[in-house]
Amino acid sequence: MPPDARRNRSLIALTAGAGLLGLLPTAALCADAAPVNVTVTDKGCDPNSLTVAAGKSTFAIKNSSQRALEWEILDGVMVVEERENILPGFTQELSATLSAGQYQMTCGLLNNPKGQLVVQASAASAAPGPVSAVDLAGPLAEYKLYVVREVDALVAGTQAFVAAIKANDLAKAQALYAPTRIHYERIEPVAELFSDLDKAIDSRADDYEKRESDPGFIGFHKIEKLLFIDKNTAAAQGAADRLMHDVNELHSRIQNLTIPAGKMVGGAADLIEEVAATKITGEEDRYSHTDLWDFQANVDGAQKIYTLLRPLEAKRNPDFVKRVDGNFQEVDAILAKYKTGDGYQTYDKVTESDRRAMKGPITTLAEDLSTLRGQLGLE
Amino acid sequence: MTKRDDDGRDGARLGARPCMHASRRSLLKLGAATGVASLGAVAPIASRAAETDDTKTAHQSQPFFGVHQSGIVTPEPAAASMVAFDVLATNRGDLERLLRTLTDRISFLMVGGTVPARDPLLPAADSGLLGPVVVPDNLTVTVALGASIFDGRFGLESLRPKSLIRMTQFPNDALDDSICHGDMLIQFCANREETVIHALRDIIKNTPDLLSVRWKIDGFLPADTVRELGKETVRNLLGFKDGTANLTASDDELMNRYVWVQPGADEPPWTAGGSYQAVRIILNLVERWDRTPLNEQQQIFGRYKMSGAPLGEKHEHDIPDYADDPKGLRIPLTAHIRRANPRTPETQNSLILRRPFNFSLGANSNGQLVMGLLFVCFQSNLAAGFLAVQSRLNGEDLEEYIKPIGGGYFFALPGVPKPDRFLGDTLLAAAAEDYSASRR
Repeated sequence: MPPDARRNRSLIALTAGAGLLGLLPTAALCADAAPVNVTVTDKGCDPNSLTVAAGKSTFAIKNSSQRALEWEILDGVMVVEERENILPGFTQELSATLSAGQYQMTCGLLNNPKGQLVVQASAASAAPGPVSAVDLAGPLAEYKLYVVREVDALVAGTQAFVAAIKANDLAKAQALYAPTRIHYERIEPVAELFSDLDKAIDSRADDYEKRESDPGFIGFHKIEKLLFIDKNTAAAQGAADRLMHDVNELHSRIQNLTIPAGKMVGGAADLIEEVAATKITGEEDRYSHTDLWDFQANVDGAQKIYTLLRPLEAKRNPDFVKRVDGNFQEVDAILAKYKTGDGYQTYDKVTESDRRAMKGPITTLAEDLSTLRGQLGLE
Repeated sequence: MTKRDDDGRDGARLGARPCMHASRRSLLKLGAATGVASLGAVAPIASRAAETDDTKTAHQSQPFFGVHQSGIVTPEPAAASMVAFDVLATNRGDLERLLRTLTDRISFLMVGGTVPARDPLLPAADSGLLGPVVVPDNLTVTVALGASIFDGRFGLESLRPKSLIRMTQFPNDALDDSICHGDMLIQFCANREETVIHALRDIIKNTPDLLSVRWKIDGFLPADTVRELGKETVRNLLGFKDGTANLTASDDELMNRYVWVQPGADEPPWTAGGSYQAVRIILNLVERWDRTPLNEQQQIFGRYKMSGAPLGEKHEHDIPDYADDPKGLRIPLTAHIRRANPRTPETQNSLILRRPFNFSLGANSNGQLVMGLLFVCFQSNLAAGFLAVQSRLNGEDLEEYIKPIGGGYFFALPGVPKPDRFLGDTLLAAAAEDYSASRR
């Protein structure tokens, strides 16, 4: 989805949250098997109030209005489920797994009243059943906060980093390189939603045909090369300006971002795949050898997501939780060996046996976390 | 000469290294090279007859259960991978879990069957690259241990097969540590490369905390070996027939004498039924070879290039008479076949069962091809077998055109005789016995 569409969506969600909460008298109680019919007219939803049982429901949305519509189930400001671009005269189905509670439905034009959707607890939903969108609302909100804090810190760090380069203070710029990057590495799966920025900020020389000398090679690693190999702050000025610009742009896009639940949950696995594919060899920060900072940041980012979801998993799959906890602990314990006062030793100090010892827990984490989305019922 | 060797080695390293080490570009290079290899291996012939053959061979299978592992005396099919692993297990319990998991997976993969369905929200249990039903396709998966597994980690020091050592450098070698050695070697062979890859990915997926790929190299043979099952001698990439004088793998008596460690041999008893496996990644400097006069090539090997007959003889399988040629006038004393097997009573016990494949990995930065022989052999005693043969080959004229750069020595475990047993169970039982004996 292009960033613009994402912005629109979160705008709609916010508007919906501010909508009326008045309950309407006619409520249809629907079985969870047959589709629940909703017709959207130019005026609103018909019926404008629905009641379904907790668990999986299928909605058949008929568009009887004059324009294409987006139908959403909202929990406060959060979009729980949506069906986009239903053309006039067409009916589309939407399946949603909902836990008990009060929801709203969008009903065409933004100024149409929101419809009410009541999800009633059932005997089946008392046991830990499939995770509902509501279960994920708390973790998602907290994760958004984490991402925003990290990107704030990234902006502040980049400002100091760029200032050091501008002041031709090589030692300071070198010292600030790794601690600035960690804020990016922790939220990499989210930053990667903006592929243009990810490429500009964090691509490596390998991504370009002419490698280090390729004019397209910019961002952190270009500056890393100029600072640690060429030791030339003057040559890094242009790249530093561009980095600041791109980081600011990332910051502004993230403010307006609704993080899709699947992206957050999948992010834990993405971060570990990142470690498995590029960190164990020490090829990420090949000029500065500050890989361990990134390594720990990726692991922290994955662990943050996992920790937020852990209560949901603990009920459903205690063995899984035990294994994942253990593997995170193992990796953290090995990384801790290389901690210095305010950072990490260079990657060449990591012994062959520790590199080997990390492979097992990292690969097992990659396998386990790759099932997290599916376990939580997310596409 | 030196420059050439170095460059060749670099190129090969790019290709042979596991993806973890390889840059994206070298992966692409490797991908392209492998593509060529697989075309060679399963050359699609646009005729109905060929398709029928293909369908037939997909259901060929080799036994998993038996006194010996398959993949040793089994005729070579068209595709192979040798994959060396670091064992990540840190205690004997996890080593046993690894060996049991391997037994489970291999016994399934070699028979085939339906892939279990899983919730599509989860990653599938199977890579799916053979479709919903896994066919055996003549797959053999053969597990061997390197000398390093007998270090202190698992308390197996006293149980190391006697002549199993870490591979050391021969004079013409230019070994690259990143494609040498390993705690475990798994040899995958099948009619088609896809079957080999499927089996490898299955094992990797099922052992995330137990195994880590150290290096991998793929080999191929002409596709018709699938149907011929070793009846015709294949050519190596130097254009010579390779394996004419090989031991006859179907001869049990010969195999018991030269390939399988026998019960009662001067070896730890758990090794009975296993075999020493030597793997050597040998670059062939093919451009230079192709610029060498035919006569010189034939003198170097000691055979006629086209017929495969020993020099001075008529037919491929004629036996060279070295007694009648003591000065090497017909077959030079330095010729490959004469050094490898002088056919004297003293050298009779150094016979080995060769099971080589060709490999091709792309090109090096000088634009020369990186290809050669993935040499594999089995013997009941490594010192008497490969090590003795290679020592005789040191200084042979062929050395100018070849460069061994990797590989290792391993011990292929005894077979799994029946379903309640597992690979390496005799080794672990012996280790447990050692332990309790030391406590008494």
